[in-house]
Amino acid sequence: MTNDPVVEATDAVPDGPGPTPADDAARHDHALLRVESVSKVYGSGHTEVTAVAGATLSVDQGEFVALLGPSGSGKTTLISIIGGLLQASSGTVHLGDVDVTALSSRELTRFRAERVGFVFQSANLVPFLTARENLLYVTSLVKGGSRTQAKARADQLLEELGLADRAGNLPEQLSGGERQRVAIGRALMNDPDLVLVDEPTAALDTALGRQVVEMLRREIKSRGKTGIMVTHDLRMVEYTDRVFEILDGSLTHVEEPSALGH
Amino acid sequence: MSLGGTEIRRAKLRFGLLTVAVSLLVFLILLLTTLSNSLISSLVGALEGLDTDGLVYAAAAQDTIAASRLAPETEGAVAAVPGVASVSVIGTFTTRGEVAGTDEDIQVFGFRPGEPGQPTALSDGSLPASGSEAAVDGVAAVGDTVVIGGRELKVVGTLRGARFNALPTVYVTWGAYDEALRAANPGLPFVPVNAVAFTVDDPEDVTSVAMAIEGAVSGTRAYTLNEAVGSIPGIDSITQSFGILVGLTFIIGIVVIGFFFLILTVQKMRTFTLLRAIGSSTGRLASTVALQITVVVVLASLIALALTVLAVRGIDTGIPATVDPATVIGTIGAVLVFSLLAGLLSIRRIARIDPASAVGSR
Ligand SMILES: Nc1ncnc2c1ncn2[C@@H]1O[C@H](COP(=O)(O)OP(=O)(O)OP(=O)(O)O)[C@@H](O)[C@H]1O
Ligand SMILES: [Mg+2]
Repeated sequence: MTNDPVVEATDAVPDGPGPTPADDAARHDHALLRVESVSKVYGSGHTEVTAVAGATLSVDQGEFVALLGPSGSGKTTLISIIGGLLQASSGTVHLGDVDVTALSSRELTRFRAERVGFVFQSANLVPFLTARENLLYVTSLVKGGSRTQAKARADQLLEELGLADRAGNLPEQLSGGERQRVAIGRALMNDPDLVLVDEPTAALDTALGRQVVEMLRREIKSRGKTGIMVTHDLRMVEYTDRVFEILDGSLTHVEEPSALGH
Repeated sequence: MSLGGTEIRRAKLRFGLLTVAVSLLVFLILLLTTLSNSLISSLVGALEGLDTDGLVYAAAAQDTIAASRLAPETEGAVAAVPGVASVSVIGTFTTRGEVAGTDEDIQVFGFRPGEPGQPTALSDGSLPASGSEAAVDGVAAVGDTVVIGGRELKVVGTLRGARFNALPTVYVTWGAYDEALRAANPGLPFVPVNAVAFTVDDPEDVTSVAMAIEGAVSGTRAYTLNEAVGSIPGIDSITQSFGILVGLTFIIGIVVIGFFFLILTVQKMRTFTLLRAIGSSTGRLASTVALQITVVVVLASLIALALTVLAVRGIDTGIPATVDPATVIGTIGAVLVFSLLAGLLSIRRIARIDPASAVGSR
């Protein structure tokens, strides 16, 4: 099994020399994304689980950062809250001047459509839409915008992602890596401010995984997007600008990828 | 881009099979409705279509016009009751006769043209004006002949939904009726009247005038037209039985349609969850389901309608079955509305989706 080493990599998350995210956040007070003391408690009574505890972090416009931590450490929970998919138990999330934690569920739906691009671990695409239609569909979720422009944009994204000749294929006719690249295109389609990616390489082998993450970085950087990628694979962090480490729901350090010495 | 439409195009087989299944259900509903309406109408259509406010029978007839025998003087007695505007006589009997060359049992109705109690459901030609003319609800056209009691009558009009006892029904003037009945029953001392038809001064008053007639003319029972139709023996239970049959088929059809779409929705839960996560509203996804239900039910209804028309032409039940546009539109409309309501089962599932569950491997 080629993806077994992933587990080892997780256990080997080193303690780098970086500051705590809270200290770091203080130095980024004009950051696009500001997460302050976010906690998430699932359940109640003795089934209570604190998935995220007092997370504070800031990410600047144009940065591509990693959220690194072992399984069950709260990574998915934290980016779900940041992307408006999940209600925090306490704390606030600001994207620009929008307080995400104060939005109603109807507003959150719009927020997700207009300002966030998601790439999930799997089941990313609508199975009965072609690659191109998967991209075009999300433009129908936001008001305005011309169809011709949307089509041009979809074709351009597919081209950049090396999928020009697969545009008319259904997801079932694509390989795992191609599917994840379509999902990246879909995430970028509505020109979101924030791109959130949850373990995009979990279903891929290492070489394909690298290829996908590399492409993700290129797209995010060339468009000036802000990106957060959840991973427990240490080898993927080299494509990011900074790495937030999370353990048992708490953010512990912010590191330079190079400091993690892969 | 319409998500629902694209899915149908990509999954033609699945939606095709679904449409066929739904069309069979709608066909069953339409055929049952059509046949039961036709049967009921051929049993009572003649009475239903009489141009009158009410009818008077002999009390001893126990609600059956064919068993009612009134003396000819009853007409005058009814006319004298306050509130009665006009009266006339109606006679009816069953006999062997000939319609357009075919020998068969026929129901004969006698009436006085232009007076209460003449038929209304004319579909072609005119009502008989003389003793040598007849109007027919049966397999006959204007210009054909009917033979009753050895007398040949010319068909001048045809009627629809004007049968009685599910027999071909011939309407003739009172004069022709008199002759035909005497010919069929030689030695009859007088030609009895089966019913006196009456109209009232104030249409609101039919019930009270009917009561006044019963009080004033002994040995009679008076009915509003609806009462007379409704009290034809057995008609209630026939109507109810068919009602239950049609109603049950309808309910089963709707439940099955609802479940079909619920299954489709449950199968697509992952996709719906993904769509909610990337910013589709519940309303949007619900309208996708509603659109698909509408497309499937409308297509299925068209197929069902074609099947019904073919079946009604092909099946010979001995009574004229016609596909009534109002019934068809009403039925299909009801199927659509209730299918959409059944679609709420699916929409409820969609509304309960937690978009957060799209993330991660959960
Ligand atoms: N819906 C839920 N109900 C109850 N507990 C939950 C729920 N979702 C997550 N948890 C718990 O919260 C903790 C953090 O979960 P989360 O999925 O955020 O971790 P993760 O870092 O993404 O893990 P992985 O790397 O395995 O995806 C775990 O202990 C998990 O069991
Ligand atoms: Mg996770």
